[in-house]
Amino acid sequence: MLSLRNLKLSFDGSQVLDDINLDVKKGEVVTLIGPSGTGKTSLLRCINLLERPDSGFISLGGLDYDYSRISKKEALNLRRKTAMVFQQYNLFKNKTAIENVMDAQMVVQKKSRKEAYEKSMQELKRVGLEAKVDAYPSQLSGGQQQRVSIARALAVEPEVILFDEPTSALDPELVGEVLKSIEEVAKSGMTIMLVTHEMSFARDISDKIVFMDKGRIAESGTPEEIFSQSTNTRTQQFLNKFYTAVH
Amino acid sequence: MFDIMTVFESLIEIIRVVPKTLLLALIILLLSFMLGAVLTYIQSLNIPVIKQILDVLQSFLRGTPNVVLLYLVYYSLPLAISYFLSLFGVPFDPASLNSAAVVIVTFSICYSVFQSEIIRGALHSLDKDQIEAAQSLGYSTTQTLRKVIVPQVMTEALPDTMNAFLIIIKALSLAFLVTVVDIFAQARLVGAQTFSYLEAFVAAALVYWAICGLLTYLMNKVENRMRRGYV
Repeated sequence: MLSLRNLKLSFDGSQVLDDINLDVKKGEVVTLIGPSGTGKTSLLRCINLLERPDSGFISLGGLDYDYSRISKKEALNLRRKTAMVFQQYNLFKNKTAIENVMDAQMVVQKKSRKEAYEKSMQELKRVGLEAKVDAYPSQLSGGQQQRVSIARALAVEPEVILFDEPTSALDPELVGEVLKSIEEVAKSGMTIMLVTHEMSFARDISDKIVFMDKGRIAESGTPEEIFSQSTNTRTQQFLNKFYTAVH
Repeated sequence: MFDIMTVFESLIEIIRVVPKTLLLALIILLLSFMLGAVLTYIQSLNIPVIKQILDVLQSFLRGTPNVVLLYLVYYSLPLAISYFLSLFGVPFDPASLNSAAVVIVTFSICYSVFQSEIIRGALHSLDKDQIEAAQSLGYSTTQTLRKVIVPQVMTEALPDTMNAFLIIIKALSLAFLVTVVDIFAQARLVGAQTFSYLEAFVAAALVYWAICGLLTYLMNKVENRMRRGYV
């Protein structure tokens, strides 16, 4: 459903992503893990063209594009098949929770206000925020804001939702509620690409784990293969560091 | 002797020119805002030479009193228009130019510099996060501009713009020098007719004060509405 071929990205001459090849099947949850600065977030941002790769190919939900000569219109097409949940939530600060969820449906998908409202209520209920629909982002906790942002992503019915470290900016006690919402989304059959440092969550929720190191995919496989049976030294080093930090 | 009844009579005369004064101020505000936006845009492009020319122009506008600029435009604009139109063979009598046009042109240019600063500040306050959110949801450039950037920038720019409006209303009292009758000019005329200058100017002061008070009140309401959700 989503596949990337030979994707390359550089910033000011330094190679951020090098020859990325990746396939994601419909309904799959694919989690990117790895040390900081290895390009996990950049990879997600290449998929919706918030970063523009130097070269490579993408196919997503019937669209096939060559990154090296992608037009504005094509970038827009890709973005309309994806949605992103940002680390800092990025809710529109001048709009209420429900307006945040409604806006893209009306502006981009040209739905009527009533239709958008109903859909938004439904998605806000799904993340457990039906009581907060009229609150502004500044009146919500980080966890609640992130759940609104998840509802906003769901509401546009994308082919894939890109979660970019959705719990990294949260206070520890708020992480749980957001993870629970992500789990809900995963169960509903939505295709998900997730960047996270929540290892046990990644292990539980993912169909496929991709371990990235220095801008490359070092290893990928089922959670079992990566967490328990990996023979890759970099993967082992990374996971060991993690376990020592946690325990 | 100070006569309170004369103040009232002057008030009535002065209030008659309030709509015209407000309209002039509004036109100047809108034009200076548009001009300011264009200035901000051109400066953001950082084109050599043009940038320097604009810098010099801005420093000139900032460093010259409005009265002087007003006279400069008063004496040069008719000639400029006449010359320009003559290129196309259209006859134009420099003396026929409406003084209100002179006032509008002068103040629009003067205040565009300040508006440009206001817009720049407001744009600066805009978070990149907000734009990326819109992009990630598939908003086109125009949609992002219309639905995200403009509303947020407007909210930021509103208090200062409102302030500029009040300043323009007050600065219009200079328009009398080129024969445009605003609130202050009307007070002078009324005073001259009755020789009760003090009463007329008291009335004028009251009118200015009332307008500014009312506008400030209204704009605070609008601002509170627009800033709901802002901490």
